[in-house]
Amino acid sequence: MEEELDSNFKTVGNIRTEKSVIMNVEDCNVYYGDVHALKNVNMEIGKSEVLALIGPSGCGKSTFIRCLNRLNDTIDIARVTGKISLDGKDIYSDYINTSGNMDVVLLRARVGMVFQKPNPFPKSIFENVAYGPKIHGLCKDKNDLNNLVESCLVKVGLWDEVKDRLEDSGTSLSGGQQQRLCIARAIAVQPEVILMDEPCSALDPIATERIEDLISELKQNYALVVVTHSMQQASRISQRAAYFHMGNLVEVDSSNKIFNDPSHPLTTNYISGRIG
Amino acid sequence: MNNINRADLNVTKLIERSLEKRNQKERYFRIYGISSLVIAVVFLLTFFASIISTGYQAFIKTDIELEVFLDSEVIYPNGTKTEEDLFFADYDSLIFTSLKEHLPELKNRKERRQARLILSSGASYKIQNKIIKDKSLVGQTVSFILPLDDEVDMYLKGYVDTESSENSRKITDFQIALVENLIEKDLIHRNFNTTLFVSGDSREPELAGILGALVGSFMMLTITFIISFPLAVSAAIYLEEFAKKNIWTDFLEVNINNLAAVPSIIYGLLGLAIFINFFGFPRSAPIVGGLVLSLMTFPVVIIASRAALKSVPPSIRDAALGLGASKIQTTLHHVVPLALPGMLTGSIVGMARALGESAPLIMIGMVAFVVDIPTSITEPSAALPVQVFLWSDAPERGFAEKTSAAIMALLVFLLLMNSLAIWLRNKFQIKW
Amino acid sequence: MMIIIALSFLLITFLNFRAGRSKALKIRENTSIHSLPEYYGYYTAFWFLIPVTLIGISWLLFSESLITSFVLSNLQKEIVNFNEIQTLNFINDFKNLSEGRNITGEISLLLKEAASLYSYFSTVSNTLLIFACLSIGLFGFYISINKVSSVFQARNAIERYINYFFLASTCIAILATAGILFSVVFEAIRFFGVVDLDDFLFGLKWSPQMAIREDQVGSSGAFGAIPLFVGTILISIIALLVAVPVGLMNAIYLSEYSPSNVRAYAKPMLEILAGIPTVVYGFFAAITVAPFLRGFGEFVGLSISSESALGVGLVMGIMIIPLVSSLSDDVISAVPQSMRDGSLGLGATKSETIKKVILPAALPGIVGGVLLAASRAIGETMIVVMAAGLSAKLTVNPLDAVTTVTVQIVTLLVGDQEFDSPKTLAAFALGLTLFVFTLVLNYYALRIVKKYREQYE
Repeated sequence: MEEELDSNFKTVGNIRTEKSVIMNVEDCNVYYGDVHALKNVNMEIGKSEVLALIGPSGCGKSTFIRCLNRLNDTIDIARVTGKISLDGKDIYSDYINTSGNMDVVLLRARVGMVFQKPNPFPKSIFENVAYGPKIHGLCKDKNDLNNLVESCLVKVGLWDEVKDRLEDSGTSLSGGQQQRLCIARAIAVQPEVILMDEPCSALDPIATERIEDLISELKQNYALVVVTHSMQQASRISQRAAYFHMGNLVEVDSSNKIFNDPSHPLTTNYISGRIG
Repeated sequence: MNNINRADLNVTKLIERSLEKRNQKERYFRIYGISSLVIAVVFLLTFFASIISTGYQAFIKTDIELEVFLDSEVIYPNGTKTEEDLFFADYDSLIFTSLKEHLPELKNRKERRQARLILSSGASYKIQNKIIKDKSLVGQTVSFILPLDDEVDMYLKGYVDTESSENSRKITDFQIALVENLIEKDLIHRNFNTTLFVSGDSREPELAGILGALVGSFMMLTITFIISFPLAVSAAIYLEEFAKKNIWTDFLEVNINNLAAVPSIIYGLLGLAIFINFFGFPRSAPIVGGLVLSLMTFPVVIIASRAALKSVPPSIRDAALGLGASKIQTTLHHVVPLALPGMLTGSIVGMARALGESAPLIMIGMVAFVVDIPTSITEPSAALPVQVFLWSDAPERGFAEKTSAAIMALLVFLLLMNSLAIWLRNKFQIKW
Repeated sequence: MMIIIALSFLLITFLNFRAGRSKALKIRENTSIHSLPEYYGYYTAFWFLIPVTLIGISWLLFSESLITSFVLSNLQKEIVNFNEIQTLNFINDFKNLSEGRNITGEISLLLKEAASLYSYFSTVSNTLLIFACLSIGLFGFYISINKVSSVFQARNAIERYINYFFLASTCIAILATAGILFSVVFEAIRFFGVVDLDDFLFGLKWSPQMAIREDQVGSSGAFGAIPLFVGTILISIIALLVAVPVGLMNAIYLSEYSPSNVRAYAKPMLEILAGIPTVVYGFFAAITVAPFLRGFGEFVGLSISSESALGVGLVMGIMIIPLVSSLSDDVISAVPQSMRDGSLGLGATKSETIKKVILPAALPGIVGGVLLAASRAIGETMIVVMAAGLSAKLTVNPLDAVTTVTVQIVTLLVGDQEFDSPKTLAAFALGLTLFVFTLVLNYYALRIVKKYREQYE
């Protein structure tokens, strides 16, 4: 079923969101050297919704999510074309300050990211959460910072577990706790969008369940884009879902529609377990 | 729970406020990085500029071309015509007779003495050697190209400030006039300095060469390679393939890593106390130098060889063992050949380091003044880096450029060895 | 002559190999044997060659001093009133004479007698050696070829020997360490018999040259090593002040910022810097940097010594830059990419990521690297010998000339040595101090680096 879609393929389903739009992607293409890794992606991301990105390995979902906060910039050979906007401002051209090249700081503060493997810094739990607010200068004083760290840890449900050992190293926590710490670290910067790249793939089922609960809670205040390998997980947590196949965005629609009545045969095959 | 309503605070505004400063810091940091590279580049350029500018003239020497009448009466004053006469004949007067023909203006003894000193004291040896080789030359007039004294050489290369007072320099105004006179007569030529490459050390800069030091260094490197390569490779094989993980191997490993970082002068003390004082080996001999350098190179080669062995994938070992090969057969037939290029590369790099080492050689007496070119590993010898050290300390100005020339030679050899290592690595490296 | 003997021994070895192999082949005609026939050949050859080599090497190591003492004891009456130096010269002379080399000075009758005795003993010793080697080697061959049989496991035996050889090679590392210890410890103990340990470690005055007349005893010289320690540390600190920031920034820039083409030029440049012999750095320090600094000092009105610690430290720092840079590069690239992503994903700038996440994470490794660099600076010899001062002045002024431990070791041991004068022995005491100090530094540095590596493996 490895079928190549032709170059002017248009995404089926509904690329619009029902909620108010926070990010908009138009004709996004990504090249790694000569490899065309993402082809003509168009999509809206809405406030207070969870958008799940699904698809087989190497289909471009991680590439896509890394475009949204320009983390692809760290890869020398990556080249991104098209227009991605946040609140109507192009994240590649409008986030330029007088200095010209440090535009990503503001963008990444507004579009946070959680990674596949929990990556707490080798610092204390407190310092991990306080890192973002500190570098961005978000807190007036120590007290303010303490409150912020506490409220973030409370939000991810970690406070009760770690409040007595805030000075312990972040790496001393269990895998699930580490991932929640990373989420706390991300929300401490008060982002508007949180990107999660397979946040549960390195975790056991119980830790996974906690993260899923957390995602559902977080969607009240944030727009979430979650890459996941598990269709069950996607259907549990998401309101909208997008299916990627070999660099193409094949179909995007409400999760209900995607998981119960997909329009494109490729999506059908994937959902029914024939690809992937 | 102190949940501040942060939605009221506009995060973007807060960040924007400090952004300019943060970007500034970022730029500064990048500039620090670039300047650190620039410092290294500037140093390297100054370094090479300084060495080359002081040393390039050493490859040129100034000679005088004289027709010398090899007067049989002067060479054989007793009329005996024995071989021994040739060793004690007064060649200087022969040279001087010839020189006088070109310089008729010499009046008194003092002036004649000064004229004599224009030529190097090595000039007469040159004639002597030629006559000893071919006795039939006696009685003929032969054209010789003879070395000039180092002070004259320095003058001709432009190192002498003729404006300065005569007392502050070694070459007199009168001598300068004589030399200019000889240049006008087209007797003084600039030639490529072959002496530098074919002779041993000398007290006279114009006669000194690096061949003795080169031969000594070559002998020591050969000994170092013969001793340290097989032993270090065996040790690496043992540690990497056979040793079980226990306190004993941990101890060995710590020991080897520490040995690699012991200051080289300590190895010199070891050579002095053990090889020379205890075993009674001769001082300044390449054999002792080679042994000391072997010990020094040994841990370096072990570390490189272990890295090479580590890079051979375990699947190769499994494949051989699976066919029923013994552990030793697996290692010697499959693993070691695959790791050999890496081991060789590592040992060449270690040898290059040994070639540049002087401190331990000084400890074992290699600072002795050795004129002869060594013919065996137990004879006193010089070494190239030590020659640099000795010449850099010499008061004669002529040695300054010789030092730089010796440094250039040393660097060329190091470059060759390292290029060989890189070539080996690129040619035989296997990407797994 | 030596070569002919060596070649004939090799030939015999080869014949032994053939003998062992053919015996095995013959056995194989009738019955099966355990190993390939070659292994039986190796086995018999081994038992000839190894005893021969071992005996030969140890004989050659000790024969020289043995023969010399034979000669001396034969001439005991004649040389009874020689002092130590005269004896040493005498030994040198008769050795040179017997080997046909020119010697300086008159050739006395005694010398001639000694030389002929020496060559006589040498001939005897060499003949004995050849016979001993041959008989023991052949005995080994005889035993081993008798062992060759259908049940004998030659391959296993050979493999065992190879294993022993590997193990023995490894033990050379221990021998080397022991050798270092022995060579410095014994002389150092003799030194501390004359000079008090406390005076040495805490004395403020160093002037070993005072004990120059033979009738003086060590106590008249001063052996307080504090000025040397201070000088060494002063120069090392200056070197580290140059090398650590520059080397570290180099590593950071090359691993985090530089485009790959810059890296392609910068890395070999650092390797060239690392490959320059220290004697060349010393020359550069002495003829280029020191005069420049002094001229600069005159220009701004400072008096800078032409052997200033500053100049030496600067050049030594440049020498250590590649070491610091490559060690830091290793530890910085060992920090996982996910750390960088995590920080950049929060909106940190690159420099913030480096300063607040990567460097703290890499700190132990960097500290280890700096300790190694310090040990290198402390033990560095040639630069200081050529460009630092000789007189031990107790000062921390970087513009002054100071001397170091290694400079003093070289100064004390170059030239004529009397092995009972505290002046010479002091060099070994200094060597011991240097060895112990760098050993401790290296040990901790390597342990820190190793622990750090394991953390991210």
